[in-house]
Amino acid sequence: MDLFAEAVNTTVIAKGLLLGFGGIGPAIAIGMIGAAYMNGVSRNPESAKFLGQLFIFIGLAEVFGILAIAGFFIVQ
Amino acid sequence: MFERFAAAEELQISIAPEKLFEIGNFTIYNSMIYGWISSVAIIIILILARKKLKVGSIKGPAQLLDAGVEFIVKTMENTLGSRRMAVKYAPLFATIFFFIMMSNLMGLLPGVGHALTYDGINLLRPFTADLNGTLAMAIFGIVVVQIIAIKEAGLKGYGKHFFPGKLYNPATYLIGAFEIFTEFTRLITLALRLFLNIAVGEILISVFSDLAGYAGPLAGLPFTLLEIFVGMLQAYIFVVLMAAYLSLAASHSEKIELEHA
Repeated sequence: MDLFAEAVNTTVIAKGLLLGFGGIGPAIAIGMIGAAYMNGVSRNPESAKFLGQLFIFIGLAEVFGILAIAGFFIVQ
Repeated sequence: MFERFAAAEELQISIAPEKLFEIGNFTIYNSMIYGWISSVAIIIILILARKKLKVGSIKGPAQLLDAGVEFIVKTMENTLGSRRMAVKYAPLFATIFFFIMMSNLMGLLPGVGHALTYDGINLLRPFTADLNGTLAMAIFGIVVVQIIAIKEAGLKGYGKHFFPGKLYNPATYLIGAFEIFTEFTRLITLALRLFLNIAVGEILISVFSDLAGYAGPLAGLPFTLLEIFVGMLQAYIFVVLMAAYLSLAASHSEKIELEHA
């Protein structure tokens, strides 16, 4: 196992996995929020006034992706 | 000539604020200095702008202040569902909004970060890119929300927010414990959201400027524009979430229910 650790830089793999998997969740969430908003606006154009709420929900979902980016710098 | 614009040294990434010097037992960190600078800037700007404000048509940059306060009151009115409460607590929420926005936007100015150093340590660091600062703001916000909720809904109505059902039902206490736990998670997420968005934005700009070499300023430009948007958005989200927590905690008030009817 020591040989493996010397040959392969596991930190880089860990960071890559962290960023990749950490980005999946918020990306799907933001896509679904945007899709729901467009759906609502196309059915009822008056609901375009909820753009502010849209950004709040994006902000709520975004934290988890940004947590992964912060973890990227914490993993040594 | 171009070397002046390129990142000459190793890329520096710091998530925590750095110690600058000590006065007695009191340590001064670089984020504290910039926090004071932005506070003083806000106070001066607002005092100057206040003299221009009047009823009727306003000319010049004071319009921005007028529009900003009106925006806060409108947003709070939508969230709280009551014009009276929105106007009453607008000073608190407008202060937090303007302070966070000013700190975020001033963090993007040139000179912040590694440009100005004191003993090899960055002299300036945006106040919101420091977890201690945002945590302090979040604790203040959550505590003030509880106080306002008690004031608006009364102690009984406030208790109903935590223990909504009949008191002989054991499930009520389970829900109450969960609600109290939720209050703490709100505090942590409120602080972490603001801190991580700003700190990661700074890191993003520096990483992409570093990667681009001589074209650093060009590569950093789109991310700086994105950060201007994110900085304003985070100030808005912080204030709206505080208002939403307030409206949840004070929702059992009889006064507000009467206004709706």
